Amino acid sequence: MGDLQYIIPALGQVFSVMNLALIFGGLVLGMIVGCIPGLSVTLGIILLLPLTYTFPTPDSAIIALLAVYVGGMYGGSISAITLNTPGTNSAIATTFDGYPLAKMGKVKKALDTSLFASTFGGLFSALLLLVCASFITKLVSKFASVEYFSMAILGISLIAGVSGDSLAKGILSGLLGILMAAIGTDAVTGVWRYTFGIDALRYGIDMLPAMIALIALTQVVQKLRDFVITGGKMDDANKIDNVGLTGKEMVSILPACTRSSVIASILGAMPGVGGGVAQFMCYNEVRRTSKHPEQFGKGSLEGIAAAESSNNAVVGSAMIPLLTLGIPGDGVTALLLGAFILHGIQPGPTMFTKQGVIAYSIILGCLVANIFLYPIGLALTRAVAKIVQVRYTYLAPVIIIFCFAGAFAATGNTKEMVLTAAILIFSYVLTLLDITNTPLMLGMILADIMEMNFVTSMMSYDKDYLIFFKRPISCIILILTVVLVISMLRINKKVEALNQAQMEEMEREHAEEAGK
Amino acid sequence: MKFKIKTYFWSGVIMGLFSVFMLLAMPSQVRLPMFDSGAPSPRIIPGICLVGILICSVILLIQSLVFKKEKIVEFDWAKEKPCIVLILLLCVYVALTIYIGFIPAVCIIFPILLWYCGERKPFIYIFTVAAGIGIFFLFKFVFHISLPGIPGLGG
Repeated sequence: MGDLQYIIPALGQVFSVMNLALIFGGLVLGMIVGCIPGLSVTLGIILLLPLTYTFPTPDSAIIALLAVYVGGMYGGSISAITLNTPGTNSAIATTFDGYPLAKMGKVKKALDTSLFASTFGGLFSALLLLVCASFITKLVSKFASVEYFSMAILGISLIAGVSGDSLAKGILSGLLGILMAAIGTDAVTGVWRYTFGIDALRYGIDMLPAMIALIALTQVVQKLRDFVITGGKMDDANKIDNVGLTGKEMVSILPACTRSSVIASILGAMPGVGGGVAQFMCYNEVRRTSKHPEQFGKGSLEGIAAAESSNNAVVGSAMIPLLTLGIPGDGVTALLLGAFILHGIQPGPTMFTKQGVIAYSIILGCLVANIFLYPIGLALTRAVAKIVQVRYTYLAPVIIIFCFAGAFAATGNTKEMVLTAAILIFSYVLTLLDITNTPLMLGMILADIMEMNFVTSMMSYDKDYLIFFKRPISCIILILTVVLVISMLRINKKVEALNQAQMEEMEREHAEEAGK
Repeated sequence: MKFKIKTYFWSGVIMGLFSVFMLLAMPSQVRLPMFDSGAPSPRIIPGICLVGILICSVILLIQSLVFKKEKIVEFDWAKEKPCIVLILLLCVYVALTIYIGFIPAVCIIFPILLWYCGERKPFIYIFTVAAGIGIFFLFKFVFHISLPGIPGLGG
């Protein structure tokens, strides 16, 4: 167990007062942004990201961001249960059974089931991460710049997984991201690229303001627009009662939690598959194997458990390709990769040898965040649920002010605020053209890794462009990329059809119930 | 005012024109280094991206015009106006932050924004301005980052 030399000091790091406080704060922030419909985990991470610059160590920063991720995945279920509006995409399946149960007056039972299942799924995948990370790292420890470039290509090919219904638009968006990252001074030759004589572009487009504009501000502006259109009308939330989940019920949902966590962990570790996809597959599988499939869609505890353990299980397993290979699995992990880079950490095999303590601190931090989720959820869910009813006009200006202040903090220059506003306009144009900006963000984040390793490979192999096919591992990765893209496109189509059928069936059942 | 946007067609047209313009601008915008350092040309990555964007644009145009595959987004001015007004307000906010400082910009723009959103409760206005001032001092004293102060008065 050579890794013990890293694990023991990492344990000390994670259990420092500072890190425990950050985990607590991150979980609460995550629960808040997760439970407000229209806001998301990504917004929570972006809001916290500028503040992490002042944290004493990079691992503290990543642990805090991971806690937001964990808290946000659970938070999404709060509004799904009380309002029938999922706070995050990953909580859509929770509405199928959570809301019907809440309608029966059993809100606390539904929330407790969600919390228990979330904690179970999160812990399962965090343990899997702890066991697998070192093993996978050893497998890929022979990688050089050629293989890393191919890995970056593999990462960018994940665009296929997040490109929605048009692959061409997804690739186009990703390429725009790489192009945006190429603007400014070329690090190797010192040549200016596409600055058009504008001073603000000379040092390039910083990742943080771009992420703030593309994700956070775009979301807030859209939500404010909805507020204006509806005149600030809000849905009525179900009141939380006092009857929680019993021990017997807890035992009865364990098989559903386990089944769902296993499936979601496998899916989550596959790049390109996020909690959004995993929840439907797990829900279907648990319903198929349940002794009471007829109760699904009518307030089944197993249904809530399946949906919630799946989306939290994705958190830990999605970290496996990110930490071991340096490739993000979805939008949130792409953002986390950006956070790693901003804090000077390069995820991948070398992280476990050169920054072993940091790597294990992050993994153990993820584990501890999942353990803390249960007591914090029990204590604070009632209070957090009330935030859903806070008028959005209280939250939006504060979020916007924070976003621009955060963008400024990236370099301490007002040019970042100008770029943020410009990218916000650009993001709006992309929305009108139905071009999703997640691949753009992924492209921007992976561009540096890709170009750096491309340049190194070219300089090492005397500009031999075929070297990526000559080195066997690199060639295998590139072949794998093609296979993955094709299979992902097929899976996307199947999942889309499955989701559509599932949603239609649920709507029909709900309509029939309402008719009775 | 309502009109339909054929997103495949217009994405193809706009992005195609954009990539052609950027490719034509490449010789003047990405100059080659004076000496060969052994590194690949700085034009390679942007060049690959632009050619890729051009190919995707052509694919989108073919899908739209030949295969009649299209996704239509309806632009409803009544629904989109708030979005555009809010983005414009944020652009003015950035300009004001640069010229008159962070706190005055917050005090001017966010009450206008709240008024536009139909908010009439005075406490929300007070809360927003106080939050803006609080964030200014949070960054200054806790994170040691001085947000733009009032010119002449310092941060």
